[in-house]
Amino acid sequence: MPTSIQANVRAPLATALAGVTASVYESVPEAVIPPAAIIVPGTPYLETTLISSSIQLKINFVISAAVAYNNNAGALDNLEKLVIQILAAIPSGYIVGDVSRPSIVALGSSNLLISDIDVSTYYKQEN
Amino acid sequence: MPTTIVTGRDITFTIDGDTYDAQATAATLTIESTINTYQTLDGKAYYTTDTQGTFDVEMLADWTAGGSLCASLWNAADSAPNTPLAVVFTAASGSVFNFDVQPIFPSAGGTAPDAQTVSLSFTCVTTPTL
Repeated sequence: MPTSIQANVRAPLATALAGVTASVYESVPEAVIPPAAIIVPGTPYLETTLISSSIQLKINFVISAAVAYNNNAGALDNLEKLVIQILAAIPSGYIVGDVSRPSIVALGSSNLLISDIDVSTYYKQEN
Repeated sequence: MPTTIVTGRDITFTIDGDTYDAQATAATLTIESTINTYQTLDGKAYYTTDTQGTFDVEMLADWTAGGSLCASLWNAADSAPNTPLAVVFTAASGSVFNFDVQPIFPSAGGTAPDAQTVSLSFTCVTTPTL
């Protein structure tokens, strides 16, 4: 059965994160409802790492953890708790990297406190 | 003659019939020759007394996967350590090396948070044929 990154990597990762107390998006949504965990491509996104001519890739993702930024101490506490939940929910087979410094992002009329979690996994295309 | 470039994408290989493409990140076949040098009255003379092949493989560990290649190597090294394993190594289309290697145990474990990897250095028990 043909595989795809969406069906075999992003969707299962989103499903694994479904248990965290946040909205989970497997791609960048048009509107974010905080708290949220958003799976977005990392840089580089797709790395060819294995030998042979078949399509085998290392996929780098960023999971952006976002919480409402109402007051500094409370938002940071909420973000830390959300990050811990996400780290615990990441399935096996994923390389978990660093969590970035929190930053404030203005989204529409609201502010979000966001940290990025670097994760990677390996994928082989089956046709 | 036009320039020809082959890359790691051209490599495929099997060990004991198992294909390692999905796990291997590097595979290198090296033949070391032992060459004796003699200083004669007419100058230097060279004589090759021995050759020894080594097949080095870097791969992602797959201990939990169905039909684990790491487990296959472990079982071969454990149950029949003196029974050579047949290797078919294709460096590029048309360049296929056939040889046997002695089974060795793969390493297990790794470093957080990276993917577990296995480095294998097989001793060739037959001289590779091209």
